[in-house]
Amino acid sequence: MTKPSIPLGLVFSRTGPYAMMAGEMQKSALMAVDEVNQDDAFDFTFAPHLRDPGGVVAAYHTACDDLIRTEQIDHIVGCYTSASRKQVIPIVERTERLLWHPARYEGFESSDNVIYVGAAPNHTVVPLVRHMLDHISSDVFCVGSNYVWTWETNRVLREIVTSAGGHILAERLLELGETAVDHIVKEIVDRKPPVVFNTLVGESSYAFMRLLHAATVHSGLTIPVLSCSLCEPELKLIGQAASVGCITSSAYFESIERPENRAFVSRWKARYGDDSHPSVDGQSTYVCVMLLARAIRRAGSVDVNAVRRAAANHRYDSPQGPVWVDPDNNHCFLTPRLARSVHGGQFKIFWEADAPERPDPYLSNLDLATIAARAEKSNDTKRSIYLRVVK
Amino acid sequence: MTKPSPFSVRGRRALMAMRDDRDISIVRRQLSRLGMAVTEHDPSVAPPAAETIDVIVMDTDSIPIKSDAVVAWKIGVPIIALIGTETPSRLKWLLDLQPASFLIKPLRSAGLYTALVVAFDAAQRRIDEAAHLERLEDRVRSRRIVFAAVLQIMGGHGLSEPEAFTLIRQTAMRHRTTVEQLSAEIIASGGMPNRTPRTA
Repeated sequence: MTKPSIPLGLVFSRTGPYAMMAGEMQKSALMAVDEVNQDDAFDFTFAPHLRDPGGVVAAYHTACDDLIRTEQIDHIVGCYTSASRKQVIPIVERTERLLWHPARYEGFESSDNVIYVGAAPNHTVVPLVRHMLDHISSDVFCVGSNYVWTWETNRVLREIVTSAGGHILAERLLELGETAVDHIVKEIVDRKPPVVFNTLVGESSYAFMRLLHAATVHSGLTIPVLSCSLCEPELKLIGQAASVGCITSSAYFESIERPENRAFVSRWKARYGDDSHPSVDGQSTYVCVMLLARAIRRAGSVDVNAVRRAAANHRYDSPQGPVWVDPDNNHCFLTPRLARSVHGGQFKIFWEADAPERPDPYLSNLDLATIAARAEKSNDTKRSIYLRVVK
Repeated sequence: MTKPSPFSVRGRRALMAMRDDRDISIVRRQLSRLGMAVTEHDPSVAPPAAETIDVIVMDTDSIPIKSDAVVAWKIGVPIIALIGTETPSRLKWLLDLQPASFLIKPLRSAGLYTALVVAFDAAQRRIDEAAHLERLEDRVRSRRIVFAAVLQIMGGHGLSEPEAFTLIRQTAMRHRTTVEQLSAEIIASGGMPNRTPRTA
């Protein structure tokens, strides 16, 4: 007996400026689709309908319009950038469909017709800044790409750092795709900030990491770099030496020691090759498809209202750990983690939250006073470490 | 000069500083229906002279936050902000621009007329308030002159301060002039000027 087939929209820009990340996401989506289709636990299969908007914002609207009107699709997994998601929201809201959004983003949005599976800002930037204040410094040099992710991440950083009595030493921005980073690296080497916060994306980030590494080695400096977005496939692109030592905040790393993740990674490698690596956004895309499949099974229907209700608070033991949708804001409970990039294009996790953290897309529960008090306390310990080092 | 009604938008000139083709066609269609003159303008280029436009319809997502571009757009022409991203960093940038009204994207055919009326009304109120403020500031500046005139009348007529001020105020009313103007005359002429009160 053949199982009934459910059309599933997959919208990823496999061409254009962020083709690499979107390609990773589509690979993960297709892997999840195949697993659902081969799993007897599901009494349906997914029929994926692929669309490539080529990174052109307006093309996302066209692609989704076509999926919904022509292919009669109820559920779409896709989008990487916030600009593309904001193009799709009007149409899924108007036609009462669901967009399953895998990528972490800057927050300040909550649509009834989007399930936000990527990390909210309280999962990414907040733990990273807390770590910086507790263990590195309260003075930080910021470098980022000139768009909403950097603007908003830096604003949160500034708010926390300032309330802890620290300083933003500089905020240097590059246009998306810009790889002329010499002047910024030179400034960093000249000013020797205690820490650099990097929100550059894509080629800009790779160029910056390579040049900063070369420059600091040359001048005998050690300057820690922080990131909220770096992932395993990018470490490989940056290159062996320059990619090491970056402190990164993410809900997923390939090195997570959970049986679900070890099995996921080996299935991934069996499918895409030993030298390929799952990434945070890829894994999150896989989780999107799995959450959707489970919600459809529980609802017994693809109806958007029924699926949304079925997805709410339903725990799924994903590769990254338990994940479930918070029906208050349609974002997911996720476990924040901090790791340091090491040789071999991997991350070594050195901290993770005790339990999955409630999503807070508007950072309504961010308590600056508590963070500031903690930072003050740790300042004393930091100072004593410096004293010992200096002698 | 009578003030233009915010409800009559026919003939007014709108500048569309926008990127998205669908949004542009919605705004252009609605503005044309309202009888307004419409010009398109690249948001990354500084706006034309304030005298040539009456309102700016600006897609705020099309201008980077971290740039000096916002200064160039502050030319005293009311701005209708089209808002897509509601992050605090973007909203802070927007507050600096002091939009006269706003619309949330995605745009629909409804709402633009309200945004225009609110923008024109807000702009007129800003002009009125600025003029009012200037008058008040003039009066504050002339307090010194009024005080000097009061002192002069107190000495010359042997009056207390309240009496001297009352005399100046009443004389000013009779002469159909302001306390500040009369005070200036008192200081210039060394005493209460000898003017025949105008009678109707």
